[in-house]
Amino acid sequence: MTSAHVTFGEVAAERRISNIPLSHVSVELGHLYMDDFEAGRDALRRQFERVRPWAETVTQINEGRVRRPRISTCFLIDDYFTRFSTPSVVIGDLLAASEAAGLRIDYIARESGCAVADGVPLAELVHARLVPDPPPGTNGSRPPPHESGWLSNGERSPSGGVDEAMGQVAAWLPPRENAARHHSIFLDVEMWTDEGDRRIWSCPYLAAVWQLLRLGLLRDDGRPVAVPVPAPDPLPDDWDDLPAIIQMVPSAPPFAAYTTMSVLSSRFLPVEHAVRVILGQVSISAAVLEQTVRRGADENLEIPRDILKRIGYAIPGEI
Amino acid sequence: MPSPARSDAGGDGAGILIGEVHTGLLLNSASLRQDMLPAVLGLLPGERVRSFERPISHAVSPELLVGVDCDLSTASGTRVRGIGTLAVRAAITGGRVLQGSAWTRLMGGHAEHRLPWSHYLARPGVVETVGRRRNHPYHADLADGFLDRTNNRKAPGIDFGAICGQIMGEVQRSPYLDRRSPFKAARTTLRWVAEESPERRIGFILGDDGSRTTRITFDGQPISAVIELCEDLALHDWLLSTLLDVIDRGMPSDGPHETMMRRIRPAVDHLIHLWMPGARVVESLLPLWESLDTKPGFTRQWDTLVNRIRDQLALRTLTLLSASAEGVPGRNEQGIRS
Repeated sequence: MTSAHVTFGEVAAERRISNIPLSHVSVELGHLYMDDFEAGRDALRRQFERVRPWAETVTQINEGRVRRPRISTCFLIDDYFTRFSTPSVVIGDLLAASEAAGLRIDYIARESGCAVADGVPLAELVHARLVPDPPPGTNGSRPPPHESGWLSNGERSPSGGVDEAMGQVAAWLPPRENAARHHSIFLDVEMWTDEGDRRIWSCPYLAAVWQLLRLGLLRDDGRPVAVPVPAPDPLPDDWDDLPAIIQMVPSAPPFAAYTTMSVLSSRFLPVEHAVRVILGQVSISAAVLEQTVRRGADENLEIPRDILKRIGYAIPGEI
Repeated sequence: MPSPARSDAGGDGAGILIGEVHTGLLLNSASLRQDMLPAVLGLLPGERVRSFERPISHAVSPELLVGVDCDLSTASGTRVRGIGTLAVRAAITGGRVLQGSAWTRLMGGHAEHRLPWSHYLARPGVVETVGRRRNHPYHADLADGFLDRTNNRKAPGIDFGAICGQIMGEVQRSPYLDRRSPFKAARTTLRWVAEESPERRIGFILGDDGSRTTRITFDGQPISAVIELCEDLALHDWLLSTLLDVIDRGMPSDGPHETMMRRIRPAVDHLIHLWMPGARVVESLLPLWESLDTKPGFTRQWDTLVNRIRDQLALRTLTLLSASAEGVPGRNEQGIRS
């Protein structure tokens, strides 16, 4: 008797991770706050004119590295911390100003979409994936100490107060960065505040989610999240009616990319430091990490596993 | 910006796998239904609970990571610092048995000092040795140090027990469980080491303190297959130990049958149908299970115990029947006929 080759599978037992299209680089052309918008269309155009040489440099650098670089551009509008005007007015101004400055915006995203995108609570999904940077001596005996809503890159100063045995004020002890070589640069980032039953995510926290979206590293039960959709025509009057990410140019390269490049004014440096402290403690699903690295290898590109090495900036003094 | 591919080889290849599996009873009066498993084991939002129905109900939580930076246990007492993450998950088999399983891969690190944390998160489930000795041929020293729980000279190392305990506690606190167990069963701990080698080896040691250690080799199989083998081994070792314990307590040489029945009934109701060694073990690792099953003979001992229970039950039925036949002849004859 010969034995039969049997295959048997159970769908509920599989790990399924969707592939999503990837560009080489995602370039962020800017980030719009109410103040910038209120400064008027001319101010916006001047801003884009200052960004343009940096965006062109990204293209030049990549043309020297890969044969046909796929570079998509994106722009983030703050509709989370302040609500202003309407999508049709703001987006109309943005497109006119960028066009006048010779720049093309492929995708427009709204900041609220980094908290909840099309019904998926992205900020919470990312929060569940935080694996805090362990101070030396951590062996798993107890969960690492944490302050609700805060994330740091090291050990905090012991909280002040009175030394009970001595009855005197305890001497100050410095905080310490876990990865410090000689001296520390300790940073403690506030991730959220709760106002009533609403959680307000902080700007660097949402910016961290924004980077993860641009790197195509987030999934919900294996499915892609915040998938860009063609811009509705006409644009809605309410920001809540706008999808998280809209595609402005039908032929644009994919929104998500192996690497990101953001052109930012130097006043955003502290925010980006905080973003990196958060991102450095987000555990990306091993399967997604593997998928991206393999896709890069298929294009003969080495994609760093360390996601912080995939995130770059151009930071002139003022934009 | 992407850069052209080049090799990212660092450290010392495969390294060794170390882990621990804790096995115990799920705190619920009834077997947990298959459709409840995703809710109870959904410990990471956005990640699916994998569940299997054949040949036995089994579900596995998503893997969580735990960060560590501590001295590792070495048999020689040499100081070796390890930094990285452990993977940990919970599993429920037959709606009845809960396991907490944690493991990591020890590898020679990339640097003499600690790197930014993002470096370690980019290698989930890997602990890198750091320092001047990071590429020292340390495998045997670390494996022996990890398995030997009596050596007082060594660093306490990674606390696998606490990590497994935390995830089991999290499952047991689920609002979907009624926190009542149908009988008492002790938790067991299996500590294991796996090394890559073309030579096929498996060892299992039951310590006199109740500790269990196993040492296996694998040859090219994915790490997930090695972990499943160790979890399956731990599950069956627990079933055997628990059944032995139930029989020890429930089957005195004499005593009222009612007491015996009350005591061994849980074993019949909840344990006996769970014995399925190797059900989820990949074919190429099955020979390891089989050799362990030949000596010391897990299945042989299990079958003997199950037969003993069945004999007792049959004897008990016969005794009951003959007792009632002698007591109330008319009614009982009718009872037997119907």
